[in-house]
Amino acid sequence: MTTSTTPPPAPAPEKPQPGAATDRPESLPGRLLRVLLTQRIALLVLLLAVVLITMTTLSGNNYLSAPYDSGYLAATLINAVPLVLLGLAELLVITSGRGGIDLSVGAIVSLTGMVFGFAYGEWGWSLFPALVLAVAFGALCGALNGVLVAYLGFPALITTLATYYAFSSLALVINDQQPINAEPIQELYSTARAVEVPFLPDAVPAVPLGVFTYLIPAIVVIWLVMARTTYGRKLYAIGTNDVAAEWTGINVRRTRFLAYVGAGALSGLVAVYTVAQFASARPDAGVAGNGMALPAITIAVLGGVAITGGIGRVAGVVLATLLIVWLNAGILLAVPGNAGTQFQLFALGFVLVFAALLNGFANRRYGGTS
Amino acid sequence: MSNSTLTPPGGAGSTAVSGRDGPGRGRGRVLPPPVTSQETVLIVVIALLWLVLSLATPAFFTAGSIVPLLVATTPIALIGIGMTIVIITGGIDVSVGSIVMVASVITAQTMVDTGLPLVLAVPLSIAVGGVLGLVNGVLIAYGRVHAIIITFGTLNLFRFVGLQIFGSSTVEGIPRTLNFFGRGDAGRTLGIPHAFLITIVIAALAWYYLRHTAGGRHFYAVGGDANAARLAGVAVRARVLSAYVVTGLLAGLAACFVLAQGTSSLAANVGSGLELAVIAAVVIGGTSITGGRGSVLGTVLGALLVQTVATGVTQLGWPTQLSSLFVGVFIIVAVGADLLRRRTRSDS
Repeated sequence: MTTSTTPPPAPAPEKPQPGAATDRPESLPGRLLRVLLTQRIALLVLLLAVVLITMTTLSGNNYLSAPYDSGYLAATLINAVPLVLLGLAELLVITSGRGGIDLSVGAIVSLTGMVFGFAYGEWGWSLFPALVLAVAFGALCGALNGVLVAYLGFPALITTLATYYAFSSLALVINDQQPINAEPIQELYSTARAVEVPFLPDAVPAVPLGVFTYLIPAIVVIWLVMARTTYGRKLYAIGTNDVAAEWTGINVRRTRFLAYVGAGALSGLVAVYTVAQFASARPDAGVAGNGMALPAITIAVLGGVAITGGIGRVAGVVLATLLIVWLNAGILLAVPGNAGTQFQLFALGFVLVFAALLNGFANRRYGGTS
Repeated sequence: MSNSTLTPPGGAGSTAVSGRDGPGRGRGRVLPPPVTSQETVLIVVIALLWLVLSLATPAFFTAGSIVPLLVATTPIALIGIGMTIVIITGGIDVSVGSIVMVASVITAQTMVDTGLPLVLAVPLSIAVGGVLGLVNGVLIAYGRVHAIIITFGTLNLFRFVGLQIFGSSTVEGIPRTLNFFGRGDAGRTLGIPHAFLITIVIAALAWYYLRHTAGGRHFYAVGGDANAARLAGVAVRARVLSAYVVTGLLAGLAACFVLAQGTSSLAANVGSGLELAVIAAVVIGGTSITGGRGSVLGTVLGALLVQTVATGVTQLGWPTQLSSLFVGVFIIVAVGADLLRRRTRSDS
């Protein structure tokens, strides 16, 4: 059975290889293949390079409706901010193991956005306390998930499905389905505008401000937590084997609980960003269409986070987001209008299934990926 | 609050159920009772809700209100039957909403273009669903990747296919070929809606198959421990594959029901979010998300409860979105009751 299933995935990874072979010694193709299959970061970098080179070539030959240049790429980073933050939220939760997953992040974004809208737009709070309130409220929503999953032993998938329903319902009911567009919120839009990078105004194109105020701080903090603190090591430990972790003296329940709280806090941050981006606190901000949870889980899985827990890196999530965002940006130029949005669905689905099958194949052939 | 009301039936049920954990234990009873304690509780809850609602709004307990409720339950219950089998095998299928979308748009467009009769439209829709289910099944059974990842991917892929067929944003002027399944007079015999009748018949067949045939028990074996099942001679991959195909076929039939209940135009957002409602119904019905346990009867009751809440909230004049809050609470209570029962069982 295994031999009959081996051939189909095998040719796929070899296809992009010529691109890589130009800047690496060609003498060890087998080793190269192994690195690409087992090191998710390497594969993502390669795919990212393929996307950028293909799109730039298309752009150079005028196949695209607008130039695919560094300015455009920088501008599209605005879409990367919520994706990275929620992808990191899923990283925390999925890494914590025992079927960890959070379907409710989009609903938390909706509900927290409304709470932030009330505080900042209607009650006249200033920005900083309102921001703290939003993060705290998001953490509270995450804490509800955490208590149910970590302390009471509810399955995460079902728990967060239930809280998805509850939070999104509350977000719609709380202000009678009306968005909050008060003056301070409309002015908040300025935090989403593009700025020039200090010190290097000409060399680097203007980057959306959110990249500096939300994206980079969040990446740095989560990376520090995951890679440089004992909490991070404990999280990987309980995700790998929570019985063994328990016996080494780790407080498994508290560690897992905190992962859900962290995911909620990140969702709260995304809520503020989304309110600023749309200049309005919309009650369906995080659940409209396919919602925000599905793309976030997709990003996490694509970034190499193992759905079984214990494996996952911040760099993978960031690279996976860049891949999806820049691929989507290219698709929008190649296939303009409504059809472009549809092709984005195709790209997202295809890349996810491809990455998952590749993971399964690499697991069988090399016994595990990192 | 709910725990105290659930304890008496749970306590009574747990003695009868104790044989379920292993054939060698207890009174030699391999099967769970025909109606589990969770299902009894669900029947009581639904009965209470119906009683309260008919007291609160006199319009509730009339044919004009109950028939649409039953008809609206059918897509969720029907797909829920397939989803129950999938979840029993330890998997999940979040792409069913997209399958309904693709099947309904292909069927609607073909009916508009060619005036397809009922006897061809239904098989067409079912076949489309079956093909998409087959895609899921092959990827999951032979790709050996967790079902949630594959179906998250195919959710997007199927939606893309559906949107490509939609072309413009809606399909207009759908003929009333499928009225046989609808809410109107053409969709009823002796006052009973056909769609509901078909769902009940399929549910009964699935209930018997899962409970009383060797093939049906194999699904439980796969979900309980796939390795042990394989060593005992169960064709694990074929079982997993067929669970997703069946779900696809049922989603295709459900697409006909959705079309019949809709208006003459079909919007691109058809089926979106349906997967969560179906999973909610299955879980409220007592099927364990970790696999190996569950029943079709519970799923049908779960679907009925979800739809009763939605109808009730509307009829009471509350904001419609409030019904999702109740669905969320019901899921938590149902899973909590299940956990509690399992804990008391393992203690004894």
